[in-house]
Amino acid sequence: MRRLLFVLGPLYNEGHVKVCNANDEEVPQKVSVHAEAPNPTAASIGGAARRSWLKKLMRQRALQVMALLGIAWMIVFNFIPIYWNVIAFREFDIIQPLSAAPWVGLDHFKEFLTDDSLGYVIRNTLAMSLLKLIIGFPLPIAFALLLNEVRSIRYKKWIQTVSYLPHFLSWVILGGILATWLADVGIINKLLMGLGFIDEPISYLAEPKYFWSIIVASDLWKELGWSAIIYLAAISGVSPELYEAATIDGAGRFQKMWKVTLPCIRGTIAILFILAVSALLNSNFDQILVLKNSLNESKSTVIDVYVYQTGISDGRFSYSAAVGLLKSVIALGLLLGANYVTKKLNDTSLF
Amino acid sequence: MGTTRKILTSLLAATTAISLAACSSGSSGGNSAAGGSSPSGSASPSASAVSSESASPSASGDQPAWQKNTSPITFDWYINFSWFNSKWGDDVVAKYVEKKTGVKLNFIVPAGDEKAKMNTMLASGQLPDFVTLQATDEAVKKMINGKMVLPLNELADQYDAYFYKVADPAKLGWFKQADGNVYGYPNASSSPEDYKKYGQSFTSNQTFEVRKDMYEAIGSPDMSTPEGFLNALKLAKEKFPEVEGQPLIPLGLHEFTDNGNYSLEDYLQNFLAIPRQKDGKLVDRRQDPEYLTWLKTLRKANEMGLLAKDIFIDKRPQMEEKIAQGRYFAMLYQRTDFANQNIALYQKDPNKVYIAVNGPANSKGDAPTLAGPGISGWTVTLISKNVKDKERAIAFLSYLISEEGEKDMFLGEKGVTYDTIDGKDQFKPEVIELLNKDRTAFDQKYGASYKYWMLMDTNMNLQWAPPSVEPGKQLEDWTKGKSISMSEFDGLDPSPESKEGIANSNNLRLWGKTLPKLLLAKSDEEFDNIFDKYLKDRKDVEAVDAARQAVYDANMEKLKSMQ
Repeated sequence: MRRLLFVLGPLYNEGHVKVCNANDEEVPQKVSVHAEAPNPTAASIGGAARRSWLKKLMRQRALQVMALLGIAWMIVFNFIPIYWNVIAFREFDIIQPLSAAPWVGLDHFKEFLTDDSLGYVIRNTLAMSLLKLIIGFPLPIAFALLLNEVRSIRYKKWIQTVSYLPHFLSWVILGGILATWLADVGIINKLLMGLGFIDEPISYLAEPKYFWSIIVASDLWKELGWSAIIYLAAISGVSPELYEAATIDGAGRFQKMWKVTLPCIRGTIAILFILAVSALLNSNFDQILVLKNSLNESKSTVIDVYVYQTGISDGRFSYSAAVGLLKSVIALGLLLGANYVTKKLNDTSLF
Repeated sequence: MGTTRKILTSLLAATTAISLAACSSGSSGGNSAAGGSSPSGSASPSASAVSSESASPSASGDQPAWQKNTSPITFDWYINFSWFNSKWGDDVVAKYVEKKTGVKLNFIVPAGDEKAKMNTMLASGQLPDFVTLQATDEAVKKMINGKMVLPLNELADQYDAYFYKVADPAKLGWFKQADGNVYGYPNASSSPEDYKKYGQSFTSNQTFEVRKDMYEAIGSPDMSTPEGFLNALKLAKEKFPEVEGQPLIPLGLHEFTDNGNYSLEDYLQNFLAIPRQKDGKLVDRRQDPEYLTWLKTLRKANEMGLLAKDIFIDKRPQMEEKIAQGRYFAMLYQRTDFANQNIALYQKDPNKVYIAVNGPANSKGDAPTLAGPGISGWTVTLISKNVKDKERAIAFLSYLISEEGEKDMFLGEKGVTYDTIDGKDQFKPEVIELLNKDRTAFDQKYGASYKYWMLMDTNMNLQWAPPSVEPGKQLEDWTKGKSISMSEFDGLDPSPESKEGIANSNNLRLWGKTLPKLLLAKSDEEFDNIFDKYLKDRKDVEAVDAARQAVYDANMEKLKSMQ
């Protein structure tokens, strides 16, 4: 939704934006992003309307160009590939034109679904994604709420910067750092042994049972600050009047957080939740690839890694495309399901 | 990843063999071996070409085509290795070659994943003028089948008969395709004929190393039997539990990948001299009892706490760091892969280096049969059908593989980088000094010693190569006489998209999952159960074996026709 807004942004500049949908009595406030007032007379005359529309377009040309670039990007990398999904049903050879590729029907799908390793691959994928959803989804909200309550601006900025920092490091680098930290002579073992929690150093990455925790924890550490940004932005949009009213009513800080802030960002939370659910079958490929090894393989092979091994490494593009397509179809189902549920519960939805 | 390592290794092998030159001792064994086999130019099939300076033949058809046209031209040359960062630059060799032939090169190198870049180029149908990639790369077949590259023989017939004078017929025969054409020419390749000539000086990368000081401290025990091996690891661990405050790793191996572990497959099997074929039939070396005995020995080592967890987890950067710290007692690790670390150790303390000793051997105590250079070589170079100028391209290729070209690429320009010293053409002292001290600076300044290795001939170069120096020399010398040609076993794996190829990949991944389990098994019975399960779970074994056998038979046929 946010991304969509970004693309349509310039033309989506005025209208009713509900400040807060927490309270049904809340009066929608009319917000005009651009100072321009709508011209009622122009709407009645077609030509004039088009002219004014063109005029508006001209005025916004810099912004429009940016939006067009975004659309062009989407066409090249998101829409054209949709057509190429057809290779999932054919035996495509990259040095031959598509027309030379014989149709094989659902063979690739069958091969994937009858693969012996499918069971544990899906188990790993879902387990890690669900853990990430259960733990990794609410924590940034809590973090944003708490951060919002920090009085000292400088201190708040400092925390924010520090918590963003790991986001800007690639997993390739972080993977190396983590491997060193988690080694038997690494800092984590030294720390835990120094504090007396463990007696023997543990090689964490060598034990399959720790793998999921390492993935979830390191992902949280890397992305917590970054994911909180969107909530902080939503919180900053909450009308101060609501807080003032709450203060007059005698609400404490926690009550205000619970009864004002949280309900006001409910829409944002719902939308991000829908997106998170649709991404359940995705796992962080980079992260897992750098942390996986021959000992934790039983807990670390996920769909993406499997596709990489069986498809991309061996140059079997049709097979990779089939698995990718299957994944997308399931993701679409999850998205629609989550959308439906939040719509019923919350009256918020993507579409 | 596996292939990348092998490539890197081969390159290192090539460069270190060349770069680790001695300034001090003149009469080393390596030198005399190289000197003894130094071809006079008449006997060697590849060196049989007319010697450069005297190459002014009477018949115009024999005149090298590269001499006919020396107007400036720039060829795009794709190198399928992301680590290759050399530019055709301001160095002596580049300038000299440019002056001589008029050819300038513009190298194109993948920014990241080689496979992705190669596939993109294949899909687009557009290739740069020259393409250099690993000889066994799947893409070679694809380019040939897709008619994206030109047959070298047709180019030579049409433009440059000189090509046949400088090309090794054995190598052309080896790379001849079913349609009778030859599309690529290899580098670092050694034919059976070369083996007869230089065989004794051929080295292998496969060595078993121990840390010298520790090994001597525990009494230099024999490590070629399972008992001796386990005992030595145990003694080392007891005597040196820690290296600079960190636990000793008794045994080091190459990294575990999705498909297993190189150190514990061909590498170990070669040490055990396990045959790859019996009576012309390929055999599964994994099922050889000698091999299983040694895997069980390693299982026992794990039970005794002699296999550190690190070896299952570490990737190459971590291993290199640990080698530099001297944290391994023993290693099954390609010698050129840690050449730099070993030099660093040597400079700190010549006693703390890794040296090669006799490693695991079969119950009969046979000498190892290590992988020596093969006729497939390391890379092949092909000419694209979109090449700018067909005539100049084949002419330049002929020049590069001629003795003159090889000499220019290795020694550089006479009087500038090399001279005839003591009757032998060799690098000038200051050039050698820079080569040994700082390879990067050497490349920038001189660009010799096969900075441009695309068509290097590692046999022809023996006559010019400076002798190797410690600590690399000991490791290198240990492999001499133990290295054999395994050309007939090159490229056996079926194409990964074929039915057999898919089964083969699956079986390999199954092995990759099985191997760590075998080593971590609690008992020999558990080991046997896991191994039996592996044998049972493999799929389409007969089909895969048949495909491999067919390629092997064809290879044998080709090799036979060369003799």
